[in-house]
Amino acid sequence: MDDQKKVTELYHTLHSHLPSEPALRVKTIQSLLVEKGLIQEATIDSWVQAYSEDIGPRRGAEVIAKAWLEPDFKQALLADAAQAVDELGLMGKAVGHLKAVENTDAVHNMVVCTLCSCYPFALLGIAPDWYKKAAYRSRAVREPRQVLREFGVELADEITVRVYDSTAELRYLVIPQRPAGTEDFTAAQLADLVTRNAMIGTQRELSVEVA
Amino acid sequence: MDGIHDLGGKQGFGPVAVDSEYHRMDDPIDAFGWTMNQTLRAPGLSIDWWRHIRELTPPVDYLTRPYFDQWVMTQLIAMLDTGVLTLEEVLTHQPIPLAEPVPAMSVADVLAANRAAGKRFDTPIAAAPRWEIGSSVLMRNASFSGHSRLPNYVLGKAGVITAQHGAHWFPDACAHGDERAEHLYTVEFTAAELWPQDAVENNLIYLDLWECYFVDA
Repeated sequence: MDDQKKVTELYHTLHSHLPSEPALRVKTIQSLLVEKGLIQEATIDSWVQAYSEDIGPRRGAEVIAKAWLEPDFKQALLADAAQAVDELGLMGKAVGHLKAVENTDAVHNMVVCTLCSCYPFALLGIAPDWYKKAAYRSRAVREPRQVLREFGVELADEITVRVYDSTAELRYLVIPQRPAGTEDFTAAQLADLVTRNAMIGTQRELSVEVA
Repeated sequence: MDGIHDLGGKQGFGPVAVDSEYHRMDDPIDAFGWTMNQTLRAPGLSIDWWRHIRELTPPVDYLTRPYFDQWVMTQLIAMLDTGVLTLEEVLTHQPIPLAEPVPAMSVADVLAANRAAGKRFDTPIAAAPRWEIGSSVLMRNASFSGHSRLPNYVLGKAGVITAQHGAHWFPDACAHGDERAEHLYTVEFTAAELWPQDAVENNLIYLDLWECYFVDA
């Protein structure tokens, strides 16, 4: 196809002209775009700061804590997660079609994107390296229990694993089970327990030690 | 497209590097790669065409170069393709400065851009959905040549529809400039259907798939 030919030729032309070492290559392109006036260095700093301090898994953790505390909110989240997070002021990158899936005693959910690395950025921030790499993307759909074991999760045979492959614009957020012994916890204390991996589904049991 | 990106079910990649993780953009490659891709949308660039450029990353690079280094190349090619930048400017490293440089973004601008990026991809169409929840469906058994979101590991496999999502923009068409929508469904597959050669496990796999990817089972 012409589209493919055009793109693969560009890759090869660029490959033979740009520095091979990744940091140097990226720096070269960055300076080119800065000199052209397409992007300002200050803009990069702003994105780093926003994703360091504001947009990240804490947002997802607060959604989970609220779902544990408020049954009505949990129902709303399960019915239409995109709308529920929008109402909390948390709408953002890649959560316009958010779906929440709930872990139970009988079901464990986990999320992957085998074709690229789709991820609910606005609620979980930048994806961890392993989520973007071939080992997780290839194996999560074929041998999820072995993958979970590598994360330290041992599942009884009778627990069903539901793997969500993010092939369209829907994004999935796992609602982990609320740990025992947290009946008196505040929303902020509960949110402290919720890890990013638990919301992707590569952790099942949450520790109450963190709070 | 039957490319290196279509990784589901492929074997030989070894253990998951479970400790290779960070929450923030600690690395300059990540910081620039993310920022460039969030701010420099080439005019008319669809997410589908962007993904197709990404899929065409040379296979060795796809598996070995840092993730955001690859995003930088993808976005650079998208910019070259739409004329935001010329190949000559890149190859000579002599950019022609814009008459009006793009202004810097503050953190507040970034947070506003994040909110605005919560886009929807559904759109009403005249056609009614062909299938309903509970319908058994059979995936086509040929991979598409261009961009597609039907992974190889479900080709020719049977599943059951568990959710309808209305019509969503159809990536296979939109990636190539033909903007149209089709009904989208979640389809459930059993591990035994997808991997009959493996030990049977109590696993279910869910994919979100467009109507023309399958037929009645």
